[in-house]
Amino acid sequence: MAAKIRQPGWYRALAYSILGVLFCLGLSTGLRAAFAVDPVYDGESVLQISLLTVPLFFLGGIGCFDYWLRWASGRTVVDDHADHGAKSWRDYFKVNTDHKVIGIQYICTSFFFMFIGGLMAMLVRAELAAPGRQFVDPNTYNGIFSVHATLLIFLFVIPVFAGIANYVLPLMIGAPDMAFPRLNALSFWMLPVAGVMMLLSFLAPGGSFAAGWTAYAPLSVDAPIGQAFFTIAVQFAGASSIATALNFLVTIITMRAPGMTFFRMPLLVWANFSTSLLVVIATPFIAASQFMVILDRALGFNFFNPAGGGDVLMYQHVFWFYSHPAVYIMMLPGFGIISEVLATRSRKPVFGYRMMAFSLLAIVLLGFTVWAHHMFVSGMSDWIRIPMMITTAIIAIPTGIKIFSWIATLWRGVLKMDTPMLFAIGFIAMFTLGGISGVMLAMVPLDIHVSDTYFIVAHIHYVLFGGSLFTIYAGIYFWFPKMTGRMFNERLGKLHFWLTFIFFNVTFAPMHLIGVQGMPRRVSDYADQFATWNLIISVASFVVGLSTLIFLYNMIISWRTGPKAGSNPWNSLTIEWQVSSPPPIFNFDAIPSVVGGPYEYGVPGAVHAVFDDAKPEPVAVAAGASADASPEETD
Amino acid sequence: MEAASIPTPTTHDDHHHGPPIANQSSRVNSEVLGILLFIISEIMLFGAFFAAYFFIRVVSADGWPPGEGLPVAVAGINCAILLSSSVTMHWTDVSAKRDNQMAMRIGIVTTFLLGLTFLFIQINEYLHLGFTPKTSASASVFFGLTGLHGAHVLIGLLLLWMSAVRIFKGKVGPDHHRGLEVPGIYWHFVDAMWIVVFTTIYVL
Repeated sequence: MAAKIRQPGWYRALAYSILGVLFCLGLSTGLRAAFAVDPVYDGESVLQISLLTVPLFFLGGIGCFDYWLRWASGRTVVDDHADHGAKSWRDYFKVNTDHKVIGIQYICTSFFFMFIGGLMAMLVRAELAAPGRQFVDPNTYNGIFSVHATLLIFLFVIPVFAGIANYVLPLMIGAPDMAFPRLNALSFWMLPVAGVMMLLSFLAPGGSFAAGWTAYAPLSVDAPIGQAFFTIAVQFAGASSIATALNFLVTIITMRAPGMTFFRMPLLVWANFSTSLLVVIATPFIAASQFMVILDRALGFNFFNPAGGGDVLMYQHVFWFYSHPAVYIMMLPGFGIISEVLATRSRKPVFGYRMMAFSLLAIVLLGFTVWAHHMFVSGMSDWIRIPMMITTAIIAIPTGIKIFSWIATLWRGVLKMDTPMLFAIGFIAMFTLGGISGVMLAMVPLDIHVSDTYFIVAHIHYVLFGGSLFTIYAGIYFWFPKMTGRMFNERLGKLHFWLTFIFFNVTFAPMHLIGVQGMPRRVSDYADQFATWNLIISVASFVVGLSTLIFLYNMIISWRTGPKAGSNPWNSLTIEWQVSSPPPIFNFDAIPSVVGGPYEYGVPGAVHAVFDDAKPEPVAVAAGASADASPEETD
Repeated sequence: MEAASIPTPTTHDDHHHGPPIANQSSRVNSEVLGILLFIISEIMLFGAFFAAYFFIRVVSADGWPPGEGLPVAVAGINCAILLSSSVTMHWTDVSAKRDNQMAMRIGIVTTFLLGLTFLFIQINEYLHLGFTPKTSASASVFFGLTGLHGAHVLIGLLLLWMSAVRIFKGKVGPDHHRGLEVPGIYWHFVDAMWIVVFTTIYVL
């Protein structure tokens, strides 16, 4: 037992966490005694310090800092790759430096929180199935939808993309691992900490945090202690995503295979490059906003206290300066996934490759100029509205470039309508609808009319569910054979798609209507006139919920007993498909050399990368050369 | 099929003793690039607090400065202390590249002590200001920004401590100076940020 506590792992994590709680108890009571504050013991004070500190003890216990501490104490550190790679399922519950293991840890963890967040959506819909009170009181309802949004945004959509990219991106650019493998492990382990903290808020006196995922001050300053769980959990989730983004940027810039110029990178790499820029630049703003809230809450600062001269609108400005770019953080990696899936499954080069890359960067730049369109009714200065309306409309242009390029990619391709492709095409349709309602919302008069109604709920779910989640499903199905070495069940995949696609629309399309008619969001009750639509929406949403169980069943069964997939089931050109499935422990025996673009489908003999162990002569084919055997070019 | 022309490596030695050496596709060293990107993130964190400062000072026009004037002279001396620590930090860096172990030790200790002095004076200033964060929003912003910077000095000192330990164990030399260079870059950032904080909070 004593030996187990000395080794990094769960026993030591538990021991350190208990130690952490005692430390915080001592710190709080000690300081209060030193400054003669009465009473000496204050539960809320201990709790808030613990929320900040105990996770660090936990991370230390599980072993995230061991290597660095050894380095910092001046000892010679040798990286023997002992923590690299997984030999059994138990290794997935340990600190691991292999990007492939971390990728799967990320994906499984975020899907775990996706199912919990989805369950809360079911509770919300159960409450809203009929007017009046069904199951929960209004305060609990506020808590449920707040935790639903927060979990799905901070613990699902943002990290699951980081997980997919973690697995695929180093392979795609021909790197043996990420640039900072131990930082990578730390960024993963901060995630479950944040997620568990958010869920634990239900046990807090006064209930979970209930101020929505935006947690506007001064509401979040005055709310019961559950709110502190949000404020601090977001810090850990944010630190995790900054660390990962930094890691991606350094990996992409310094570790590309020879010959992999920026314009030979697959678009998924471009997408994660752009996303990581957004994360590194924008995420500190939400950290700052939550720091200010916790200072106001715990230490009596006056940032958001109008009586002391504080400014509540400032919270919204700082918050949205992160959270608008955050919607692109939740979308751009999906754009990358769709480009990979569409090119491979329609056997055609991505149309307008360079414009696809540039439009990603344009979205990054423009994303920082539109934040105040969330605040048209907030009471801010009127003159800010018009510039924000214009920039918001402009941001539809690079997005439109991408949509048209995808459609042009499909044009006269040889479409293989399997599950990843269905989700990709479904995404294009759903995301276009969500994008159009987004441009509508950019218009000040319409926005004022539908502010805080179900129109907003419909819009955000069309872009985050019909948009992001569809790309996530497409990506998971697409790379499932690579990650597991096995093929998923195609029939169940198709069933999952059609159920999701149809009932997603039945759920969220009517919300546009009842939104325009004025049904307010974030309220547990509504007028009788909306009863019929709400019942339909609730029933449809339960079908969407059940369809995710098909997905879960498919993934588990196929992982265990699916047919062997082979290294390249999709006949893709990019590097990750040229190694075995699942890839060897260090990805490559020797780093491949890149000799051409990533999407030269339909060009006979075209090669993206060659491996050292057998060097075929790269076949130089002039762009647009006619090819005899490729159907998309013989017209 | 196009892909069929690519030989798929099927036999992989699982007892491979380490990863292949990654291709270095940029002249920038990855640790240096990492800390520079992290500094961008830090600048944005300060940016958010500066946004709070401008909102409270300009938009809601809360009285500035909080209390009866800020001790500009004390902060100015502090500024000089922190800036001179940047000079000694640079000297340490150069000495590492020249393998001058003695200069390196003197340099890192001087830098560390200068940083510690800065922090000590800052805390002393807090105690004699005559207002607390609870007094007003301007006071909150003052403590928020200078406190945020103080926290960064503390983190910088922690990093310098680690470098110092390695220097005194003789682990830093011309070929092994990343462990000094990277904390050094961070320390320069902390110093540069103080100039911005000092100018906006105390001078303007």
